[in-house]
Amino acid sequence: MGAPSSQVILTMLLSAAIRSGTILLYPTIGEIFTERAGIMNVGIEGMMLIGAFFGFIVAYLTRNPYLGFFAGMLAGGLSSLIHAFISITLQGNQVVSGLALTIFGGGITNFYGQHFVNYHLSTSLKYIAIPWLSKIPVIGKVFFNQDIIVYLSYIIAILMWFILYKTKVGIHLRAVGDDAQAADAMGVNVYATRYFWTFFGGLLAGAGGAYLTIGYAPFWLDAMTAGRGWIAVALVIFAMWDPLNAIFGAYLFGSLDALQFQLQAAGTTIPASLLTMQPYLLTFIVIVLATVIVRLKHIGVPRELGLPFSREEKS
Amino acid sequence: MLRFEKRENVSLKLRIFISVISVLAGLIIGAIAILLARINPLTAYKSIIIGAFGSKYTLTETLVSATPLILISVGLILVFKMNFWNIGAYGQYIIGAIFSSYFALFGPPNISRFLLLTIMTFAGLAGGAIWAIIPAVLRAYWEVNEVISTLLLNYVALYILKYFMYGFWRDPTSHGFPLSKPFAMNAQLPRIIPNSRTNLGLIFGIIAAVIIWFIIKKTKFGYEIRVIGGSKEAARYAGINVARNMIIAMIISGALAGLAGMAQLSGVIHMLQIEINPGYGYTAIIVAWLSYLDPFAAVFVSILLGALASGGYQIQITMQVPFGIVAVIESAILFVLIGSEVLMRYRISFAKGRA
Repeated sequence: MGAPSSQVILTMLLSAAIRSGTILLYPTIGEIFTERAGIMNVGIEGMMLIGAFFGFIVAYLTRNPYLGFFAGMLAGGLSSLIHAFISITLQGNQVVSGLALTIFGGGITNFYGQHFVNYHLSTSLKYIAIPWLSKIPVIGKVFFNQDIIVYLSYIIAILMWFILYKTKVGIHLRAVGDDAQAADAMGVNVYATRYFWTFFGGLLAGAGGAYLTIGYAPFWLDAMTAGRGWIAVALVIFAMWDPLNAIFGAYLFGSLDALQFQLQAAGTTIPASLLTMQPYLLTFIVIVLATVIVRLKHIGVPRELGLPFSREEKS
Repeated sequence: MLRFEKRENVSLKLRIFISVISVLAGLIIGAIAILLARINPLTAYKSIIIGAFGSKYTLTETLVSATPLILISVGLILVFKMNFWNIGAYGQYIIGAIFSSYFALFGPPNISRFLLLTIMTFAGLAGGAIWAIIPAVLRAYWEVNEVISTLLLNYVALYILKYFMYGFWRDPTSHGFPLSKPFAMNAQLPRIIPNSRTNLGLIFGIIAAVIIWFIIKKTKFGYEIRVIGGSKEAARYAGINVARNMIIAMIISGALAGLAGMAQLSGVIHMLQIEINPGYGYTAIIVAWLSYLDPFAAVFVSILLGALASGGYQIQITMQVPFGIVAVIESAILFVLIGSEVLMRYRISFAKGRA
């Protein structure tokens, strides 16, 4: 047996990058829609942890990873309703509420998760090769020889792009985030719209977290999302609130994650801490650049992001 | 349908009432979480109280936990007043700790204690300030979202710390553990209560609270910060330099977080290691909020949440209750608190039908 060819290594690396990117893609798309509706939820890290934990527990107990995935998604969605109630109904501070959600997610999963630390799942997701698409050199293996949750993320990204720009639902959603008073005058229910998309953001954050413990790393560790929720918040800016751009952002960071992991496994002399730092450092640099571009081009940003809406206070 | 009417001003009584209700609600939610784990919440809470206030030693440990909370929260109050969300005290604390450790570990050995501690104090302030200037400048001039930038810099700071601890700052005699050499006596902050770990850092904290109160209430800078907090547009219209004020406020906030890191190492831990409790940076956000951005209230709230943390460590050891329960209680307090802010802004009544 000879050493694996460079093409095989590249395929493996990129295929891992897609899976790592999928953990980010779900919450990034979710947050894009929450923010499009005018609600800023910086609690993704907490919702992802909740999704990761409950997804893991259900998958562990039922031995069914798909059931686990849906449970994680639902748990993430339910946790987002706390934020929705505080920021929409009670018009509380959205940044602080999101932070509280992050602290809550970390605390509750640490508290109940202690017992399960280092438990492993006995069942894993099956890779399904898509007929003829998976035969394309490199690209086929990378994109079309994955598990069903990865495929679902492709569908969601494209479907959500379509909904955002090509349907009445999307027009109403954007109206609510850009000018809630005008949307209200058009007859759109601002409160219901915001509740729905905040819940949607929670579902997808839960999905990303659940994919982490069910697909990417089938075990439970305390705080194992390790800041991915914050990277997702930043990717929303990078994606300029467009679900298709989110795909590129998520896979870029997925590649970086997969690469640093491979380098460490290959026994590089670069210290592990400096390698692990890279995704955070790069995200930092990227949001600075993205912010400058967004400002220069005046694109994307929902104009009333983070501002509460009250029917009583018409200006 | 709930009907909201704007309130003109909020009485101190209502504020205190809401704070107390929030803490009680947080404790009740925590109790439910504990109950679901099949642990008797009353036993757990009793142990937390004994663990925090039960003896002279545990009482001093509560003050040890309160010290970094006071230092960080009063700094956060300053920037929160202008609606700048510094979520980066975690990172600023770490960088302050690293900067001050450099002098403790590699400074001239025979330097006097007073001089070394003064240098370390300034190093801690400088380290925290440097880590805070970056997001402040980016926000002030390019509108880079400071919630995200400060948070990401926390992770960068954490890995810088790990880099040093797994690299050339590790003590060769630590058997591979990521610990530095222990600090010599002249790098240790004096303890202010005998037979305890309560140290001079607590006095730093109280001085900081007084200074921040003075800045906010008695200086032009403090006035401008309050105007900016009200409305950036109004502040610009009034000729206030928003960017400059934002950067100065962040320098102070970061410096105090860095000083908290220095005080924790020099006063309590006496070495640099990975576990230096930067999580105080997040708890301090809750302190700032629970004290309605009042520096003196923050001192008392810090002692309260310091007691919760200190008692939380105790029940982790004695009852094997995971420390996460403290975060559950803290976040529940915060949820109820910000949820009830609506009570302060509006009078709420029930009205029939839609408005």
